[in-house]
Amino acid sequence: MVQETRGELYLSFAGIWQRPRREIADHLEEIIELWSEEIEIPPETVAVLSAFCQRYPAGEERLNALWAEYIPLFETGAVEAPPYASVYLDKGRQVLGAETRAVQAFYASTGYGMGNDKQELSDHLAVELEFLALLARDGEETSGETFRQKHLLPFLQAILPRIKGSRRPVYAQAAEILDNWQLKSYERG
Amino acid sequence: MKRRDFLKGALYGTGGTMIALGGFGTLTKLDPKKAAAAEQDALSTVFSTCEMCTSRCTVALKVKNGKVVKAEGHPNDTSTGGSICARGNAAPSLLYDPERIKKPMIRTGERGDGKFKEVSWDEAYSYITEKLKNVQKQYGGEALAVTSRVNPNDIFFRSLARAMGSPNMFSHEATCPMTRTVALEATFGNPYIGADYGNAKYIITNGRNFFEGIHVPMVKGVMKSISNGGKLVVLDPRFSVTAAKGEWVPIKGATDLAFIMAMANVMISENLYDKEFIAQYSVGFDKWVEAVKDKTPAWAEQETGIPKDKIVQITRDFAKAKPNCLLEYGWRTPWTGNDYQLRRAIMIVNMMMGNWEVPGGYFRKKGAALLKPYPELQQYAKSLGGGMVQPAFPKPVKGRIDGTGVKGTPGQVIPVPDGAVGQIPESILTGKPYPIKAWMVYRFNPVISMPESERVIEAIKKLDLMVTCDVYMTDAAYYSDVVLPECTYMERYDPMIDNTGLTPKFQIRQPAVSVVYPDTKPAWQIFKELGEKMGYGQYFPFKDMEEYLTKQLAAAGLTLAEMKEKGFWVPPGMKPFFMRGKDPKAPAPTATADQKIQIFSEELEEATKQGIPEYKHYPQPENGKFRFIQGKVAVHTNAGTHNVPVLNELMPTNTLWINSVSAGKLGIKEGDSIIISAGKYEHKGIAKVTEGIRPDSVFTYHGFGRISPKMTRAYGKGINDNKLIPNELGEIGNVVSSTTFVTVRKA
Repeated sequence: MVQETRGELYLSFAGIWQRPRREIADHLEEIIELWSEEIEIPPETVAVLSAFCQRYPAGEERLNALWAEYIPLFETGAVEAPPYASVYLDKGRQVLGAETRAVQAFYASTGYGMGNDKQELSDHLAVELEFLALLARDGEETSGETFRQKHLLPFLQAILPRIKGSRRPVYAQAAEILDNWQLKSYERG
Repeated sequence: MKRRDFLKGALYGTGGTMIALGGFGTLTKLDPKKAAAAEQDALSTVFSTCEMCTSRCTVALKVKNGKVVKAEGHPNDTSTGGSICARGNAAPSLLYDPERIKKPMIRTGERGDGKFKEVSWDEAYSYITEKLKNVQKQYGGEALAVTSRVNPNDIFFRSLARAMGSPNMFSHEATCPMTRTVALEATFGNPYIGADYGNAKYIITNGRNFFEGIHVPMVKGVMKSISNGGKLVVLDPRFSVTAAKGEWVPIKGATDLAFIMAMANVMISENLYDKEFIAQYSVGFDKWVEAVKDKTPAWAEQETGIPKDKIVQITRDFAKAKPNCLLEYGWRTPWTGNDYQLRRAIMIVNMMMGNWEVPGGYFRKKGAALLKPYPELQQYAKSLGGGMVQPAFPKPVKGRIDGTGVKGTPGQVIPVPDGAVGQIPESILTGKPYPIKAWMVYRFNPVISMPESERVIEAIKKLDLMVTCDVYMTDAAYYSDVVLPECTYMERYDPMIDNTGLTPKFQIRQPAVSVVYPDTKPAWQIFKELGEKMGYGQYFPFKDMEEYLTKQLAAAGLTLAEMKEKGFWVPPGMKPFFMRGKDPKAPAPTATADQKIQIFSEELEEATKQGIPEYKHYPQPENGKFRFIQGKVAVHTNAGTHNVPVLNELMPTNTLWINSVSAGKLGIKEGDSIIISAGKYEHKGIAKVTEGIRPDSVFTYHGFGRISPKMTRAYGKGINDNKLIPNELGEIGNVVSSTTFVTVRKA
């Protein structure tokens, strides 16, 4: 897989795991198209996602449908799959653990840090994927692969089964696709 | 836009709306020096004030690498001895909990569906503003009710209601110690009365469970008393942890007033009370003599189930310890409709012991106004100022829904800052005296903290607007239209905390770390911003909390810098001050008009026609039924901490305590699944079979059996006591917790 494509894929997944917003939601069809072209995906997975897009056309309605999935899955209260790495990789199932700090240190070692608005914790799944997108864009392949092996993959191994098991259509399918790409077929890709 | 353009644009900055920093702008290029500095963050200590319960203990938060790694007691605070309780210790577990609310949310499904969307703060404020303005236009400003658990941000929260012209501001106190407040105000003129447990030689408590309903300084005091050879007697239908530290007297529920009146009867008939004290410091004792003349130990034995000889013996021993003895005034949910008269009678018997303003007795809290008349203490007489000057609020068009403040009615004595919160669901459902259409709750969870949970939910569902401000998706939040995420106490400033006792004491609450979840905010900021959005900015005339605190402290000659450094202030060199500490005849005025202790209360006579406590007999459970009683547990705070990870791990659920003989008759064994029935409502539970409870009573710890599925750890675990208790308003608007009878059967 060429570096440019890898960057786009990372960014597409970063967009998916972020809190729902119009810019991403309205481009869901394009993201699905990218995934279909670049990752091995069973047709039924694409069908579920396409059905979602047809049922909820781009706009407010789609955004609210994504919120309905996102909040119980990731955000508030009985979160089914907390999106923070330290919840899985540190003792205590809490945020801002040693893994958060390790990730921050890695960001810093490559010249990156969290943006000024600090709207997210640094070990959020979307942030880690966005970081890898930036490294791919920068041509930092070695750093990218080190981060992937050391931080992303252990995180994905812990969180993706939870998201896939959630039976929340968009996110469960997206997790299936990310799993296919990162955990099953990355080397082939 | 084609997809390659969209993603490329975001990644390489060739188009789209998210290109400023590359990617989605979440990450940015970092100054390498700053990154290195952050790596070398050493362990530091930030002094603050705990908020894991309402006791407000001073704490030392240990911070490393920008993270609170431990909460400890403040090492220089003699009141706590540098200790904190399990709840205080668990604070970091709340701070870093992934289940906290992270963004403002607006409901998208039906109430109770649990469907929400996250919105910006501005969207949330706009939504609330529009709804409240509609309510104001249609029903008047008084159709808004606000309720909070008493806290330093109330001034901002309540300003929203005041600005709208609503008089309906409530605290949680009617579900907690409001009857004690009424008793203290009627007897002493204000409720700011403390007890010196550590120097008491004899303590009697009616159900006050120090070692499970923990207030660290009080626990330390009681432990000191016991360690010094003091006697502790615990009247409680249940063998509590406190009972285990003293002599357990298993009194029948709802009969405590009989025991207290019999004590007075014995003291009078045997001349055990301090006549000179009563003559010098009180008024109306003759009416008390009349009221208790037939309340003999033999009569009390019939009521309480305590042998008359035991009542006499306890009374005699207690009186021997006078004036260094305490009949504990209680701090918990009212038991009966006339609970305030129990609290009154307790304080009258205390005064018969002359335990006023002496070590080991009761005392007025020593604020500046109290110290000023004493030349040698004037140097310590400092008080905090206001942090802002607000313009006058509009006068409400209507009176309060609970009748608070109405002369010649029980409402006359309901404390204005508290009100009778149980009236809110009634007014929503019945429209009487007029309907409440919007309800805002802050750090208060009416679904679990008020009786009859299902009726509270039914009421919430009828509202035009329900708003909850909290740290978790509580049961109230789950049924709300808007949920506002407050940050925890470890992430914010609050107004100064006045914790004055035997000396003045001011405490700061300050952030130990930046907010963990970036879109959570301090309550003062939330209410200020909401007020500004509603067009009420003039009622929030301050820039930020540091400016507010600076003004408050300036009045006391203190600075924010020194408070931040030390955490709390007590007058250097001042010793605990009792007005009668050196001279038993010294003036010891109360806050009443005549400065005397009101054994007979003219105000209560006017309000309730009971200027002197009168005994009311409450029924005892019939055969086959049990009195349902509840209480606190040491590792949880009311309904507030059951989802906090560490505390939930310590105690995730509760059980129903049932006497072994009673259980045997019902074929119930330890650990059996049971059904508890209060008639209209039933609840499943697990039986704890024990000899540590009267055969006619069953008990459960409060705050469990949570209804919000979004509190994963606490959801559906254990018994929600308030599902079974009816919403009965007591004589002065208090809730009533101990007159419910239940049956128990195997599930």
